[in-house]
Amino acid sequence: MLEIKNLHVKLEEEDKQILKGVDLTVEAGKVHAIMGPNGSGKSTLSYVLSGRDGYEVTEGSATLDGEDLLEMEPEERAAAGVFLAFQYPVEIPGVGNMTFLRTAVNAQRKARGEDELSAADFLKLVRAKAKSLKIDADMLKRPVNVGFSGGEKKRNEILQMAMLEPKMCILDETDSGLDVDAMKLVAEGVNALRDEGRGFLVITHYQRLLDHIKPDVVHIMADGRIVKTGGPDLALEVENNGYSDILAEVN
Amino acid sequence: MALPEVKQTATEARLATLTMPDAGCTRAAREDALARVLEMGLPGRRDEYWKYTRPDSLVVPDATPAAVFADDESLVFSEFDRLKIVFVDGVFNADESDDLSMEGVSIDRLEDICCKDIHWAKDLYGVLEARGQTPVQRPLAALNTAFASDGVAIHVTGKPSKPINLIYRHASATSDAILHHVIRVESDAEATILETGPAASRFNKCMEIDIADNGTLHHVRAQGRDHERRAATHMFTRLGQESTYKSFTLTVNGVLTRNEQVIELTGDDAVAHVAGACVGDGDFHHDDTVFVTHDAVNCESRQVFKKVLRNGATGVFQGKILVKEGAQKTDGYQISQSLLLDDDSQFLAKPELEIYADDVACSHGSTSGAIDETALFYLRSRGVPVKDATNMLTLAFLAEAVDEIEDEALAEAIVTRLEGWLSRHS
Amino acid sequence: MAALDQTQVKEGVDQETVDAVREVGTYKYGWDTDIEMEYAPKGVNPDIVRLISEKNEEPEWMTEWRLAAFERWTQKEEPKWAMVHYPPIDFQDQYYYARPKSMEEKPKSLDEVDPKLLATYEKLGIPLKEQMILAGVEGAEDAPAEGRKVAVDAVFDSVSVGTTFQAELKKAGVIFCSISEAIKEHPELVKKYLGSVVPVSDNYYATLNSAVFSDGSFVYIPPGVRCPMELSTYFRINAENTGQFERTLIIADKGSYVSYLEGCTAPQRDTAQLHAAVVEIIVEEDAEVKYSTVQNWFPGDENGKGGIYNFVTKRADCRGDRSKVMWTQVETGSAVTWKYPSCILRGDESQGEFYSIAITNNYQQADTGTKMVHLGKNTKSRIVSKGISAGKAQNTYRGLVSMHPKAKDSRNYTQCDSLLIGDKCGAHTVPYIEVRNNSSRVEHEATTSKVDDDQLFYCRQRGMDEEEAVALVVNGFCKDVLQALPMEFAMEAQQLVAISLEGSVG
Repeated sequence: MLEIKNLHVKLEEEDKQILKGVDLTVEAGKVHAIMGPNGSGKSTLSYVLSGRDGYEVTEGSATLDGEDLLEMEPEERAAAGVFLAFQYPVEIPGVGNMTFLRTAVNAQRKARGEDELSAADFLKLVRAKAKSLKIDADMLKRPVNVGFSGGEKKRNEILQMAMLEPKMCILDETDSGLDVDAMKLVAEGVNALRDEGRGFLVITHYQRLLDHIKPDVVHIMADGRIVKTGGPDLALEVENNGYSDILAEVN
Repeated sequence: MALPEVKQTATEARLATLTMPDAGCTRAAREDALARVLEMGLPGRRDEYWKYTRPDSLVVPDATPAAVFADDESLVFSEFDRLKIVFVDGVFNADESDDLSMEGVSIDRLEDICCKDIHWAKDLYGVLEARGQTPVQRPLAALNTAFASDGVAIHVTGKPSKPINLIYRHASATSDAILHHVIRVESDAEATILETGPAASRFNKCMEIDIADNGTLHHVRAQGRDHERRAATHMFTRLGQESTYKSFTLTVNGVLTRNEQVIELTGDDAVAHVAGACVGDGDFHHDDTVFVTHDAVNCESRQVFKKVLRNGATGVFQGKILVKEGAQKTDGYQISQSLLLDDDSQFLAKPELEIYADDVACSHGSTSGAIDETALFYLRSRGVPVKDATNMLTLAFLAEAVDEIEDEALAEAIVTRLEGWLSRHS
Repeated sequence: MAALDQTQVKEGVDQETVDAVREVGTYKYGWDTDIEMEYAPKGVNPDIVRLISEKNEEPEWMTEWRLAAFERWTQKEEPKWAMVHYPPIDFQDQYYYARPKSMEEKPKSLDEVDPKLLATYEKLGIPLKEQMILAGVEGAEDAPAEGRKVAVDAVFDSVSVGTTFQAELKKAGVIFCSISEAIKEHPELVKKYLGSVVPVSDNYYATLNSAVFSDGSFVYIPPGVRCPMELSTYFRINAENTGQFERTLIIADKGSYVSYLEGCTAPQRDTAQLHAAVVEIIVEEDAEVKYSTVQNWFPGDENGKGGIYNFVTKRADCRGDRSKVMWTQVETGSAVTWKYPSCILRGDESQGEFYSIAITNNYQQADTGTKMVHLGKNTKSRIVSKGISAGKAQNTYRGLVSMHPKAKDSRNYTQCDSLLIGDKCGAHTVPYIEVRNNSSRVEHEATTSKVDDDQLFYCRQRGMDEEEAVALVVNGFCKDVLQALPMEFAMEAQQLVAISLEGSVG
């Protein structure tokens, strides 16, 4: 489904190469995890896939079901089914969470040629999904992410994911800043969305999130490349021995 | 001291085009005001208070013609149950207006007052305007007091069941209107005044508002969409003990708008909030000039002004909080922000604090910048097209000002108006 | 006592401050030096201008420059926009030139300087000896053992009495001397830069200064040189009825760095005295200048009698790309202060910073702030202003932030805080913000409040008297600015904060 080939990316402003030839294929229904030390390029990959400014692709390709993602605007990628759960969800004062969600849902429906959801249907849907993520009505009324705790922000990301029903979910360090209970709640939300037609790319520094979201494939990323790929055991190896052993072995 | 020659000449030229109406009980006030104009002279380009706005077109003898825009802002509140008082090019129109009688309020035309010797409005007409001339001169307001040709006196004695809507229709491309209203809100009384429409090609409006102890006045204004219009408005408000004044202004288009609010908190525990949202495109110049004086204990004032500017539009904010000696426990807040949607637009601000009491919490903030790129990307990553995302963030930017409108339905009408502007202009 | 437990003394107030605060006294520098002086006749006119030029043995071009300035001055009016009020100044009832008789023949070295003058500076804590650190600054003994060198130019009324470390600086290529000396020795530099940042007719006081400046300091740092020590000028007004008009010119050539300190004091006198200085700084590509001032002119007595009228024009021109200037000022003295150290950010990526503490007590009035004029792309400025007003004083921050259309992607952040002590004083904020492009971001924040009662109570419960407590809390309020000062000055400034507020409570 998601196919990344020989992806090279540098920062637009500086002459600094971040990704140096990433190859990765995520099949529908599978959960892939990318692990790696800080600065290895994990977050850059997520931003490049979702179309954030500031990066320049110098070589390679990224497609979703054969469609060239790199040519699309961020909202077109979203409509095509790419969802990024941000490591640092953005606060938007003045925009109600509910308005935000409804605008996003309907924009995507419109882009796909579907009818917009009526206010009543939308409300019913959002309430049901929010309930399962333990997001209370008050949080929905507040401005997007403003004054939310770390856990609330991440749950809000998962709520958006649940509402938008993307094909390809990218979770960027979703576990950062979460305590165990909050992480469980988030993981449950993600697991509930696991589906034959949906792929996941879970970016994380630590193994602990993978206790709750079981990956099918684990990749280790270092210095802008995927240096090792294996099964769930690979994550445990990192947990026990750290990155240095693996990196030494690769080198 | 003699006026500079340029100013003297300009003032004389303007005065030559005006005649004082038969003034009855307002005559003394009008003559005093004329004396003030002669002493101060009309605003000139070199006056510090007009540093960022060129007053020339507001001062010249004849108004610059302005095209009449059919679907004007006077319709903003047409869905609401309200008492309509209609002025066409600054002249009261009885046919379009409702019957002026309503429980809890008495409304008289300025013309009717002027033929009486005794009227409650005599003690208010020109009084707050005169007080508002220090420490900063406002000659256009004095000119208004002297020569206003129409207007109403609204005496709020109870709690009228619906808002009073002053509707200003613009019909002639060469109209030049001077309106003066006086409003007195008695103790424990409460009313909502709506003002809508462009009024005239050139509009000079003065409103004096006296709110007695425990009185409340809500004011919501939507200035017209006629792009070529020019306006200078002054609102002078005096607040008694525990009284409340809340004012919001929406300005959409207009080549030149100068809105002055002069607020005096004279009774303890009074509350005054003034807010404004303006959206402008092209040769749009919008100036909010606010002067809040705290002269009593434990009062609260808020100034919230937001401006969205594009295609070379200019936004000006001059705001001041003056806390007089003894006005302890003052809570004064002021924020002025602009969102510049392109590189040609500009924001010019002078947010001032002048404080002579120590037990106060006063603050102001002012920012200017482009749309937040991070927020824009976040919205786009959720599938919202860039145009919609920009409009959404623009509305969010304006929200803090619109939120100052207490009545949710009125606020909703304003938001609808803003959405309309955004969809037309993006 | 729950409230007590929750109360925190402002972060950053340390034991040193507490100790310093305990030693507060009144204006320490109010004594005068009994020394035979030579005066030019009272008043100002072309003859006086020529006389000053002659006394300084200036070349013709300099005399002409001054006379042209004088001509402009006679056509100008005193500015009235500042929030300061004082009786009209009779500009003809002042001496414009006063120098110690012993300075008639310029001493060739410091050893030849009149011992009375040396003693004056010794007493001020600024000995004109080439030693490691500014002795006499309390707390200096806590300085790192290796110490730091500070070169001093000492200006006494109208003349510079001596400059230390000149030889050592010369080795590094740095020129540090009095401006009168520079006019004679380095005319090409003076001609090129004098009046290039503050034009002759910039404002009333700068124009007067251009006509009658008698001395001041000159600094030139050659390309790529990091000035090996701090440079400083110490201004002392001693004579009565005499104005001091000094001129400072600092040129930081490409890639150079210098930190410059300025200190000022004057005797306690009943009549007000005029001080109108001009400071010009030129910062070329990649160069950096730090300019710190502790201004402690006599503020007048508790009834508002006497004191210095301080009308100063200071401006830095960041001409080169990536140039940087930082103004730090602690303004505690003067009866009237009118001063706006400014930055013209002309070079791309140039940076300007302004850190200010202005304290006014009794009848003092200060109207001070800065202008940040952004002309180049990617320029940055930061303004942190702390105003403290006590007694019957008036304290105004006045500032301008201007983003020109071409100053793309520039930033400004301004924080202006005012603190009021007592209900008879005033604190005012008058910022002008002009943004003419949309890629630049400007943020301005200002607050006004009184000294926090909980903090005061907490301090007093711990045994401090009210004045100590106020000084301590105020020092905490000023911490952001104090930290920007070189260490020697920071300690002096902390004490000054305390001293200046004496008598403001109770």
